[in-house]
Amino acid sequence: MNETLLFLIPLLPLVCGVLNGMFGMRAPRLFAETLALFGVATATIITLLFWSYADGEGSRAVLYTWATSGDLQVDIAILFDRLSAPMTLMVTGVSTLIHLYAVGYMAKEKDYARFFTLLNLFVAAMLLIVLADNLLLTFVGWEGVGFCSYGLIGYWYGKGENADAGRKAFLVTRVGDVFFGIAMLWLFALTGTLSISEINQQAAGFAPAVATGLTLLLLLGASGKSAQLPLMTWLADAMAGPTPVSALIHAATMVTAGVYLLCRLFPLVSLSPVGMAAIALVGVLTAFYAATCALAQREIKRVLAYSTMSQVGYMFIAVGAGSVAGAMFHLLTHAFFKALLFMAAGCVIHLCHEENDIFKMGGVARRASFVFSLFMAGAICLAGVPMTGGFYSKDAILLAVYAQPGLLFKSIWLLGSLNALLTAIYTFRLLYLVFGGEARGEAGHAPGGLMVWPLLPLAFLGLGGGILNLPVLVGGNEWLHHFLGPLAGSVPAVSHANEWMLWGVATVLVAAGWFIARHFYRNVNVPRENVVSRFLLAGWRVDELVERLILVPFRALGRFCWLGIDLTVIDGVLEGLANMSRQAGEKMRLAATGRLPHYVTAFAWGLLALLGWCLWRLVSL
Amino acid sequence: MIVPLSHLLIVASMMFTMGLGCVLGRRNLIMILVGVEIMLNAVGLILVGASAYWREVDGQIFVIFLMAMTAAEVGISLALVVYLRRRKGSIDADAFDEMSG
Repeated sequence: MNETLLFLIPLLPLVCGVLNGMFGMRAPRLFAETLALFGVATATIITLLFWSYADGEGSRAVLYTWATSGDLQVDIAILFDRLSAPMTLMVTGVSTLIHLYAVGYMAKEKDYARFFTLLNLFVAAMLLIVLADNLLLTFVGWEGVGFCSYGLIGYWYGKGENADAGRKAFLVTRVGDVFFGIAMLWLFALTGTLSISEINQQAAGFAPAVATGLTLLLLLGASGKSAQLPLMTWLADAMAGPTPVSALIHAATMVTAGVYLLCRLFPLVSLSPVGMAAIALVGVLTAFYAATCALAQREIKRVLAYSTMSQVGYMFIAVGAGSVAGAMFHLLTHAFFKALLFMAAGCVIHLCHEENDIFKMGGVARRASFVFSLFMAGAICLAGVPMTGGFYSKDAILLAVYAQPGLLFKSIWLLGSLNALLTAIYTFRLLYLVFGGEARGEAGHAPGGLMVWPLLPLAFLGLGGGILNLPVLVGGNEWLHHFLGPLAGSVPAVSHANEWMLWGVATVLVAAGWFIARHFYRNVNVPRENVVSRFLLAGWRVDELVERLILVPFRALGRFCWLGIDLTVIDGVLEGLANMSRQAGEKMRLAATGRLPHYVTAFAWGLLALLGWCLWRLVSL
Repeated sequence: MIVPLSHLLIVASMMFTMGLGCVLGRRNLIMILVGVEIMLNAVGLILVGASAYWREVDGQIFVIFLMAMTAAEVGISLALVVYLRRRKGSIDADAFDEMSG
């Protein structure tokens, strides 16, 4: 087989998306659904078929040269190596399950073709980010997922707030994209190429200050897409979109694009200790911020959104601690269990008559035990209950941070562990409020089979995800770490005793979180409000802060430019000129009386003047 | 030549000035046309006089052409006057001020 066939992976969803966009509404509904599923399912199969191409250095395939201008040569090239292959398989596999779920979820939606088109295009763009061996191509995918995310969050654009949420996501991530764009141009100025593999090879020659600057720019770019501080405000509002969208974009794939970018350029990023510390710091602060916000949220999907932010923060910590393997491990397990949680939340919302408020749910466990088991599986992964996938991946990260020398990393470890406690608290709070107790709201209809069965493989993957990178401590062989090989980053050097100690701490924290949640929420049906919970519910009032610090001055500036510059100066000059000509015209108009004698008189005077001039010339000769 | 050239020029200039005065001063379209005719005839007089003075026949040939052209011009002008009179019921030049700004 030819490696150019690897291009089929992003191309199949793209083609199916375009076909759906053109013919989806004219063909029967089954056609649109099948087409959408076909695109992602075949991409999954092709990824599996080509798995061996990732061995060794991986395979690089060039389709053609996109643009050549001076030194700049942009190839449409993809790199299928040990880093991108697992990511590709995760994206395609999870997308397939989410597409299946979406077919069930959108069964009553009228405008289904637009939904499936955007969903397929999103997967294509995401695969482009993952596979591209060229920063410009990555950027195309980067913007593509941004656009599709915008279109899907605002899918129900009839309601103004949904459209606003879409715009907010688009604009906030765009701020990060600017920094990514600057980093890209800087890298081109330094290396004369945009190829990721070549940049990684040449990175060792960069000056430390340059590497730090580039890392910080990339960090800001990644923050925008991955909803990290300070560009995290969009993710919670993005829950306005349909649930499959939340599962696909805002849990499993797009938000991890930032982490993936940092992993992809890890040879460059790892050169700057300052940059690495900044990445870890941003990660842990976001994790803490989001975990505290999740404690007070009242909408089920917003809790999950903040938990996503928090978990992606862990991945940033892993990159900052130098453990690409840890970041990828958590990225994969998180994709499984978070997609599972979101889709199960969609089922729960259906079961509770489209109710989002967890304080109005309750008692779902008794009504739908299967959905409960699925949600439970995702929740214990999220909380980090021992032996689940989430436990191993989160502990691998905390271990990597713990192994790093220096006070900063020790504090990050401490705060990260505190986050683990908070995570357990809000997860069990969610479980108690949604599934425990008596029903507090209306009962809705049960979700169809298509909405439940795709969750089962995800539940197994989430629970058993630890096998991917099982530590030596419990007889594993750290498969992912060995598979990533030279791309895996540093190996945490920690004694077995310490490792057991960390596990013990993690287990105690989960248990403590469970007890705290049980104590506070087992029998509580009404939300208790106070200053702190309102502050956390509003997401630390960051939106207001942004409003005061950025939007108000920006609006004032805009107002000044409008009223002070446009209307007065520019319009004044132009209208003044126009007025002058008009008044001159009014005066000139009077000369044209329309009376014959006047014209003839003027004619006679003209003749006289002409004759006089001729005479004067004659005399002066 | 019996009549000196200077007399001829004086008479012709007077005729031309009177014609111009008629064109400028009168408001009746026909009188304006009469003024134009007088001016043209003043020119014709000078042509004939000059032809006699220099004993060249060109001037006289020119006058013949001038007369033919004048006849045509009068024909067209009077036709126009008739047309304008039909339109407005007046041949006062001030009545036709559609070109007023």
